Amino acid sequence: MASSPGSPSSSPRTRAGPRRLLVALACIGLLAASCGTNSGSAAPSAGGPATQAPAISPAASLAGTLTVWAMGNEGVKLKTLADAFMAEHPGVTVNVTPVDWGQAVAKLQTAIAGKQTPDVSQMGTDMMGQFAATGALETVPANFDPATFFESAWNTNIVDGTVYGVPWYVETRLLYYRTDVAEKAGITKAPATWDELTAMAKAMQAKGDAKWGISLGTKNWQEYLPFLWSNGGDVMDASGAYTLNSAQAVEALTYYQSFFKDKLSPDAVPEGFDITPAFVSGTHPMFFSGPWHLGLIKDAGGADLEGKWAIAPMPKKASSTSFLGGSNVVVYKNSANKDLAWAFVQYLADSATQVAWYKEVTDLPATQAAWDDATLKADPNVALFGEQLKDTKAQPATATWSELGTSLNTTLEKLTTGGMAPQEAADEMQANAEKIGG
Amino acid sequence: MAGPALARRTVADAAPTASAGRGWRWRDDLVGWAFAAPFVILFLVFLAFPIVASFGLSFTSFGLRDLQNPIGATFVGLQNYADLLSDPTFWKALLNTAYFVVVGVPVTLVIGLLIANALNRGVNRFRTAFRVGYYLPVITSIVAIAVVWRFVLNPDVGLVNMLLGAAGIQGPAWLADPALAMPSIIAMAVWRNLGFAMIVFLAGLQSIPGVLYEAASIDGAGRWQAFRFVTLPMLRPTILFMTVITTIGYLQLFEEPFVMTDGGPLDATLSVTMYMYREGFTFFHQGYASAIAYVLFVIVAFVAFLQFKFLRSDA
Repeated sequence: MASSPGSPSSSPRTRAGPRRLLVALACIGLLAASCGTNSGSAAPSAGGPATQAPAISPAASLAGTLTVWAMGNEGVKLKTLADAFMAEHPGVTVNVTPVDWGQAVAKLQTAIAGKQTPDVSQMGTDMMGQFAATGALETVPANFDPATFFESAWNTNIVDGTVYGVPWYVETRLLYYRTDVAEKAGITKAPATWDELTAMAKAMQAKGDAKWGISLGTKNWQEYLPFLWSNGGDVMDASGAYTLNSAQAVEALTYYQSFFKDKLSPDAVPEGFDITPAFVSGTHPMFFSGPWHLGLIKDAGGADLEGKWAIAPMPKKASSTSFLGGSNVVVYKNSANKDLAWAFVQYLADSATQVAWYKEVTDLPATQAAWDDATLKADPNVALFGEQLKDTKAQPATATWSELGTSLNTTLEKLTTGGMAPQEAADEMQANAEKIGG
Repeated sequence: MAGPALARRTVADAAPTASAGRGWRWRDDLVGWAFAAPFVILFLVFLAFPIVASFGLSFTSFGLRDLQNPIGATFVGLQNYADLLSDPTFWKALLNTAYFVVVGVPVTLVIGLLIANALNRGVNRFRTAFRVGYYLPVITSIVAIAVVWRFVLNPDVGLVNMLLGAAGIQGPAWLADPALAMPSIIAMAVWRNLGFAMIVFLAGLQSIPGVLYEAASIDGAGRWQAFRFVTLPMLRPTILFMTVITTIGYLQLFEEPFVMTDGGPLDATLSVTMYMYREGFTFFHQGYASAIAYVLFVIVAFVAFLQFKFLRSDA
């Protein structure tokens, strides 16, 4: 903390009041040079402009050692990027430690409690609020321009008005559907609206010989929220008050439940159910998922399935808003070499690196400029994901999100499999959210 | 109070006559402690300290914000315990666990005893093979078993429903139906823990002297009477032991629902331990989770006490 004198959020406990004061003082002190740059991207919860630390002046030459933790497939492949970074900067060593996703939260918590954090780590967009609350994350310097990234991706990093991470890669959800089943049912185009989606599911089941019309999650807030957003609703309003039982929410829940009431979507789904073989066999001809299913379906379906399926944007109601997920990159306060850490994050967030990373692991770039690259335009399916990314939202970045998400899932399960009335479900969601707090 | 004083006097009296002996005894103590040290240190660091610390934690609101400064956690007195009493999910978890124990323990013990009896008397040829067969699940990784059972109970491609389908019966969604999920988990737990009960009962049965059965049969006792009036009374200590051990184990139900159902559907298989894990490590309410742990500890101790009281007396 002492090593970076301008860092405004160096108070160890993250109580909103004192920290906001510190931030305000820092802003005044810096003549708002850095703080002003973000006024365009207000935090969804905190109202005011999101705060970044003052810009770091680029060092003439970088040196030192960095420890970077990355999860899952990224953890395995990140070494290629680290090697390229080291080749660019001869005095630098970057050690990548792969961490299993299943243990990521517990491992990071342990590292923070033991003050043995890495310098840099990957962090799921849904983990930001939780970890910002620990006070272990460094504030992002003004070197990073919010306008570079997809807005909803950038916003996942803003907790209580301060920016704690930089978007690394993103994902969003689209409709996967079997074109051959649709044609058999007499439909030749993707469902563009909610009504068309229902009609398509009914037709596929009735005339397309499919066991089910669609496969929706029985207890998955990530699948419900796009319907809430597309209907003009949201989890919270601008003041940070929960709005989970708004009229729009009740309508979205009613629509979501209709698929289960009409037996279009299975309501008894075993834990660990794998949609891929069910989609390939045609029993479940529609579902919503992220870009990873492009490869999974190609692998599982082989040549037989080629040309028999397609993807489509989120069906429209008031809007066509889908869910945004993915990962950010954060720097820890305990890091001994923060300038180098941010330089590495800068490298990861660079559009050229983002394109290279897409080629390496097919992670979708979080910077908008990367999507202009020919590689990403070449695959029409990937390009569709790029289109959808422009209309996405993410869950609010609150410290209590993991708890609220679990609570939403429990209520959703009552709605989908237990037959709870939509109004009652909405009121339960709202009551639990208010009890859990933001 | 007389005890320690007496002992001290004895040592003091002995001292002048054998001063060299005292040195030896001290060195003996040291050697003894040195040998015991690996266990004692591990016990203190990894068991005793966490037990005491979590008791302290249960009176605080320890959470994410206290991660970097654990001493700064806010003391909330009995608030966590009060919250637990009015927490419907906790009561649900408690009821689920009670269901699992009340049904699971007797079924495991009765079937275990029946198999042990059969192996002890009737089956001679393949006794070892049967013994190994029933015991194998006990020593197999619980997670591996749970994953396999998840496949076996799969409604569409699972073995159970395929067999039912072959018999013309449409099998249900075992683990996804709130009414069937817990019975399915009980069935798996019984199958897994049967082997241990069987081995212990078999050892108990084999230690019953044959002359007792001989005397019983001379008195005209049939098979059932011999079982009722010789086997059961002679097995009483074994039954007590198995009841206590199995109950304590079952009260801590965790891996089966964790792997197979994640506590669902509709929290039908959420156990107290799972709820504690979720609160403590998913939501990081470590204070609240510690309170759950201590409530569970009190319940386990109380149930074990009751079992000792009722099964041990009137022998």
